[in-house]
Amino acid sequence: MFKLYIKIALRYLFKHKLYSFINIFGLTLGISVALTILIFVRYESSFDAFHKKAARTFRVVQHNQLPNETLYWNTTAYPLAEALRNDFPDISTVTQIAGPVNRVFKITDNFANKNLFEEPQVLFADTYYAETFDMEWLAGDERTALKETASVVLTEKLAKRYFGLSEANYQDALGKTILLQSKDPLTVTGVVKNPKGNSDHQYNMLIPYEFFKINNAYFSSNWSGNYQGTTYVVLNDALQKTGFESKIAAWKKKYLNEQDNKRISYFLQPLEEIHNETRYGSSPGGYVMPKNVLTMATVVAVFIFLIAVINFINLVTAQSYARSKEVGIRKVMGGSRKSLVFQFVLENAFVIGLAAALSILVIKAAITMLNSHLAIIDLQLVLRPVHFIYVLLAAVIAVVLAAIYPAVVLAAYQPIRALKNTFNTGKQGKGIHLRKSLVTFQFVIVQMFVIAAIILAFQLDRFKNGELGFQKDTVVITKSPNSEKTQVYKEKLLAETGISKISVGSGPPMAVNGVQFGTNYRLPEQAPEESLDAEMKIADADYLEFFNLELLAGRNFSKNKEAFDEFIVNETFLKSYGWTPADALGKQIQINEGVATIIGVVKDFHNNSLQYDITPCILLNWKYYLDNTFIKLGDSNYSALGTVQRHWEETYTTGIYDYQFLDDAIAKEYTVENMIFTGFSVFSILVVLIGCLGLLGLMSFIIARRRKEIGIRKVLGASLTQNIGLFSQEYFRLVILSFVIAVPFVYYVAHSWLESFSYPIQPSFWMFLMGGLFTLTIALITCSFQSLRAARANPIKALAEE
Amino acid sequence: MLLQLKNIFKWVNSGGQRIFLLKDINLDVEEGEFISIMGPSGSGKSTLLNVIGMLDGFNEGEYQFLDESVHHLKEKYRSNLYKEYIGFVFQSYHLLDDLTVRENLEMPLLYKKFKAAERKAMVADMLDRFQIVGKKDLFPAQLSGGQQQLVGVARALISNPKLILADEPTGNLNSQQSEEIMQLFKKLNEQDGVTIIQVTHSEKNAAYGSRIINLLDGRKV
Repeated sequence: MFKLYIKIALRYLFKHKLYSFINIFGLTLGISVALTILIFVRYESSFDAFHKKAARTFRVVQHNQLPNETLYWNTTAYPLAEALRNDFPDISTVTQIAGPVNRVFKITDNFANKNLFEEPQVLFADTYYAETFDMEWLAGDERTALKETASVVLTEKLAKRYFGLSEANYQDALGKTILLQSKDPLTVTGVVKNPKGNSDHQYNMLIPYEFFKINNAYFSSNWSGNYQGTTYVVLNDALQKTGFESKIAAWKKKYLNEQDNKRISYFLQPLEEIHNETRYGSSPGGYVMPKNVLTMATVVAVFIFLIAVINFINLVTAQSYARSKEVGIRKVMGGSRKSLVFQFVLENAFVIGLAAALSILVIKAAITMLNSHLAIIDLQLVLRPVHFIYVLLAAVIAVVLAAIYPAVVLAAYQPIRALKNTFNTGKQGKGIHLRKSLVTFQFVIVQMFVIAAIILAFQLDRFKNGELGFQKDTVVITKSPNSEKTQVYKEKLLAETGISKISVGSGPPMAVNGVQFGTNYRLPEQAPEESLDAEMKIADADYLEFFNLELLAGRNFSKNKEAFDEFIVNETFLKSYGWTPADALGKQIQINEGVATIIGVVKDFHNNSLQYDITPCILLNWKYYLDNTFIKLGDSNYSALGTVQRHWEETYTTGIYDYQFLDDAIAKEYTVENMIFTGFSVFSILVVLIGCLGLLGLMSFIIARRRKEIGIRKVLGASLTQNIGLFSQEYFRLVILSFVIAVPFVYYVAHSWLESFSYPIQPSFWMFLMGGLFTLTIALITCSFQSLRAARANPIKALAEE
Repeated sequence: MLLQLKNIFKWVNSGGQRIFLLKDINLDVEEGEFISIMGPSGSGKSTLLNVIGMLDGFNEGEYQFLDESVHHLKEKYRSNLYKEYIGFVFQSYHLLDDLTVRENLEMPLLYKKFKAAERKAMVADMLDRFQIVGKKDLFPAQLSGGQQQLVGVARALISNPKLILADEPTGNLNSQQSEEIMQLFKKLNEQDGVTIIQVTHSEKNAAYGSRIINLLDGRKV
């Protein structure tokens, strides 16, 4: 009997190809999209959980209490690790890393060719690092590899790239030497597997922390300030966390000066929470995937799955109209209600199983695509056996939700009625209300997605094209590895015709690439505790003119000096003292790096990307940190780029030439928002697609029921348009109703999301309207084919059936 | 006695009025009878047939089938009763479009829990008896109307019912096909002793039966 049912199901699927396609395709899409999202969510919530000691490993974070705010830092002073290790011998392990940083290496390969490589992820790690974080060692001894100062542990990737090695001979890398910055020889003492994707510890190579310490003696022994060292502790038991925190609170005064001791407090952040917690940010080199984004993604996944299931219900129950005759015959032939329920559940389950099997292939393809197409995130999603269980689970849920109900409804048909196809009256007509509610629900979700995507698009447009208060077009940034030669470089470039202006500084007006110098400021007569937080930029005399920054009062710098003596501040800075631009001139300001006089006030420009507020900003005429050269190309004439490279290489002679367009760098600040937008656009399209399939199913049902009505209307003289209008009303009403329901939801969600930005767009009514109209149009197109066919059908045929 | 209807009434309420579909029907049917029910459209022929076939209920009266009081039986027993003893033949054949001839014949047996080997034998026997072995793998749409109704009759007979109920079995057939089906019914009735109750419009077809019942407005005349 079982076999026979499957055989019938298959025959049925083949006979009704369009129906089967829509049904299987819709469900496959739903399951695949939902599960791909869930796999992604699981992946993003599993960061660094694979380390054996993960549950009792903590990152030491610090809270920095300023008069008007608290700053949360994920890095600590470098000497902290050693002090903890010495003073608390009972904690299991303390490890310290610095970086990752960019370094250039000179490698002599097997053919004695010397090659330069720039490595972006060079991590300095102490000998305790390998004890704390799991690594797979392919060559070398993990206990001793980081002991010798001048040693280096390469990842598999680099062993391949530098020495052309492969799995068989990683041992051969041991003992080879690479030159750091062309001067310090480092001996390879180990080769490890590339770090796993779901880890915030991304590195290309490990160099002993000792090496960093020797070369940065000042930083690595300085307790004040924040020098980007990351400290991890492994406790014997995760429960000791609070106790240990209070111990440190009492202990820190031993090392911190009085003022820092008051301001700074240390806390332990569980390793497994780092990746999803925005407050402290990720470790250097990693990224944060906020918990609320993951929650939202999960909700999206559930919704998409739900509408796919609803679709299935709609299509199956709609189709049951066509199968009522079969129910009647089977019942008359002795089929019990139970046996019919069993048959239909089996049939539906078979289709669901088919969709589930297909979705495994789709998920696999989707994962491969995600892995290679997400530029900022190095995803390494893998299809694991546990994911098959997800698919199975999804299928079971789909069977429970989508297979049983229609089967029960179908099997309940009274045989005589079923045989006569008289469904327009009585109890069995009620299904239509359920179907309509389901489609309305679907369209609520569809419109939520579409409207959200539209609002996101406008917000993103604000980010990309919003007024920044400075000139950003056709500006190229190059690095200056040697500041002494920058003047020469500058003069050479200015002599070229394709280049109109040049300026040097610590960074462009808007902080990009995560580089922003912070400092504290106060009036000289104020106590240090009253210091406030500001951004500082080092700029030359051309900076203001170069970026079109407008002076509201005072004058420009004259010259950059060994000891700076002039400040130009922004309007926001003035607010902390309630000054007018004119008031500020001549005032002395104390910052961490020294004292100087305000000589100018510049109109506010966006010194932070548009998600964030403009913060107090101090420009100073220092001679140091003039790391970047800004080059204005004459009217998008990119041909000058070649000239820039030639001069750079001729001037600096060492290092690897690299450049960046300022507008590209700024665009990168919105990658996360961009990703969310892309995600929403893709999901919107999918949701619209699935929703339309559902509508198609509903329409075929409605049309089947109203065939006779159309026949009669036609015989009585209704025109084609009048008949189509009859149907249009049906979904027109549904779309309007769902629009009305969707709007407040979207408004609420969009509003709270936009609120997190400092410069949100105002979602206006026409954005919502646009979403509604779009959905309506799509619905119209979806249904027009079917309604047209129904409206054009020969009325005799419809009427003759009675 | 095979079945007995006593003072059967069936009505529906429509617009505050009670419309009688069957009015005080009394009918005794002996085994081996061949009865034709006649009457104009709307006279209640099909309703009566459905009541006899237990596919439809009635509002008043008594119905004895093989000494069981049908009106007292629960739905489940009632369906067991008709499953076992009654075969149906329809005007529009009502074969399942997605099943082959063989599978259509097999279907009622599935619901009666026959074993696979038995089913196979019974189906083969029936195909043989109706000389449709060559058509066993065809789908209904590939057969002529007469052939479809032949399969319909074969299906009704396959589980050896005592009673066959036929609702205008030749209504969709031409005269030659009609003739063949009626001859078949006559043979079944005379040779195999199957009781047949048919609804028909045609005097000619009615004449095949041993007794004619005339209905008008739900009442026997």
